[in-house]
Amino acid sequence: MNVEVRDLRVDYGEVRAVDGMTFSLGEGKIYGLLGRNGSGKTTLMSVLAGFRRQSGGTVRVGGRPVFENGKVTGEICLIRDAGETIDIDKVDDALYFAEWLRPRWDAAYANELLERFGLRRKMSVKAMSKGQRSALGVVVGLASRSPLTMFDESYLGMDAPSRYAFYDALLADFMAHPRTIILSTHLIEEYSPLFEEVMIIDRGRLVVREESQTLLARGTAVTGPADRVAEFTAGLTVLNTRRLGPTASATVYGDLDEARRRKAREAGLELGPIAMQDLFVHLTEPSGDAARAVPAGDAAAPHGADQSGDAR
Amino acid sequence: MRFPSRLLASQLFFAGLVWAAFYAVVTLITVGIAVFGTLTNSVWESATQVPRWFALFAGVAMIREFLPLYIAHGQTRRQFGAQAAVTVALYAPALSALLVLGYLLETLLYNVAGWPQELARPHLFASPTDVPLVFLEYLVEFLAWIVAGTFMAAAFYRWQGGGLLSIPLGIGLVVLGEAAIGTELRLPFIRFPLGVVSTPTVLTVLAGGVGCSLLGLAMTWSIIRDVPLRNRLA
Amino acid sequence: MFDDRSPIYRQIADRIKADVLSGVLKGDEQVMSTNQYAAFYRINPATAAKAFQQLVDEGVLYKKRGIGMFVSPAAPDALRAERRERFFADVVDPMVAEAKAVGIPLGDVVKRIGELEGRG
Repeated sequence: MNVEVRDLRVDYGEVRAVDGMTFSLGEGKIYGLLGRNGSGKTTLMSVLAGFRRQSGGTVRVGGRPVFENGKVTGEICLIRDAGETIDIDKVDDALYFAEWLRPRWDAAYANELLERFGLRRKMSVKAMSKGQRSALGVVVGLASRSPLTMFDESYLGMDAPSRYAFYDALLADFMAHPRTIILSTHLIEEYSPLFEEVMIIDRGRLVVREESQTLLARGTAVTGPADRVAEFTAGLTVLNTRRLGPTASATVYGDLDEARRRKAREAGLELGPIAMQDLFVHLTEPSGDAARAVPAGDAAAPHGADQSGDAR
Repeated sequence: MRFPSRLLASQLFFAGLVWAAFYAVVTLITVGIAVFGTLTNSVWESATQVPRWFALFAGVAMIREFLPLYIAHGQTRRQFGAQAAVTVALYAPALSALLVLGYLLETLLYNVAGWPQELARPHLFASPTDVPLVFLEYLVEFLAWIVAGTFMAAAFYRWQGGGLLSIPLGIGLVVLGEAAIGTELRLPFIRFPLGVVSTPTVLTVLAGGVGCSLLGLAMTWSIIRDVPLRNRLA
Repeated sequence: MFDDRSPIYRQIADRIKADVLSGVLKGDEQVMSTNQYAAFYRINPATAAKAFQQLVDEGVLYKKRGIGMFVSPAAPDALRAERRERFFADVVDPMVAEAKAVGIPLGDVVKRIGELEGRG
């Protein structure tokens, strides 16, 4: 299901949690939603799922408004770490309600997932470990087969084997039943290969909206003698500079064409790739005011692929 | 969406179990009083002041447990509200029927043992075997207490500590229900005759009970109609 | 599994090319599907598809509608030719620069090459 958000604003009393977001998401893609604690990730997803009403702007999913619209909310599943959908007596009960309230529930698949995560139907949800609760959330989220599925930090407390089981199940089921999936996470290095596109939000604003591979290609580490690094990066968007004695390393954001790359090599500078996590850190650092560092057009301009989605 | 009949059935089954245990305890006390003292009154009559609290917490659980569950599973607040109203309309009479059953069993026991089953308080009914009036009195009482529970739980879910302000209104709903029965107000530590309805008839009681529960549901709805799910559960 | 700092699709493309060069993948042989690649490497299928698209654009793979991706019969020779073309720039020039940096006379390098040639 496609998602269209225009000028979205969410206030908690005096506090503005989401401050003017505009974007659209296409069908059948996995999106990464990255942001620091308190940046507005959970609030944004809560509004997309109809858990909460926006203070301003419009939110449309599948072309229709979301809040208190049963035809739309029935097609949306948001799994939050608090676990409203599972906080009930037994695993069995949680699955009973999911099966009863979810229009596309796949009970056989839910059973298969339970087994994969080592959960039993007779387990008491309240007595489960944090990781087991997260795993149960994943079971409910995947077996719901909702056209818009969101997982808000659904890995919390999971050990590495469980997380890998989650990634494998997510990818396999996504390929078998393509749908729009949004994943919010702080485990950026582990998650980033799963994303087709990434949204980075900071202090309630959308800072970056990019195909994840393109985003990675845009970040470059320029390393070499400090004066030459400074000369080379003049006029470029520099997110961060670190110095070690006479050597400096600058994180540059933006496309470097072949001519510039040649110039760098001729100047004896080393050009290296940057991990998504490092890019994220630099783009959301309090000091490096990201909203200013990244040209507004980058974040706001919808993608070619999505524009075709809008027209549909 | 189907009505949660399995859920209601399991809740009623649970209420039945609690009732059975409760009845057993009350009977034990009854026999105890008869053996060690003199039994002049219906013990079940005094015991029926406890299940009101059970009804209150049934109302609380409906909001605290099931409202977030419904919304998180893609249902609207409207759908939840409608089903909650139907649930209240079915649950309260079921609880009332259990109390009627308690009176009838007690009458049976007292007759066999030859004890006098006097009523200590004023009621709609003159005798514990007057089934329709016994049922009506407790039905109205349970309706009032359940909606007081949903209303206060909704206020606490929405405003946390601010929900304290809803307590006087919740008590107001309960008072309204008792006034409809027209007997006397029986809250912990306070009891005084209300006399709002001087001579209650079946019709005024029914109207008062239905009115009270509709008012309580409307007050609950005014809070939950656009309530956001909490970001962090306590 | 991947050095997650360079676009993954470039790495997948490089690996498939290496397999074609070494003969692990032969002409007209079918390669694993996008989805198999995505599941195996735990990556987004669109990323895997991008790698395949790049290889189709470069003429290393060709698409059979509804069946899958196959290695172009000409790919091994083409890749080898391409590598030959880049050999001096990619391998020899850096080697010479490194030899200079650490102070190895180029005569020694040439001598060494001669020895290897004699042994081979």
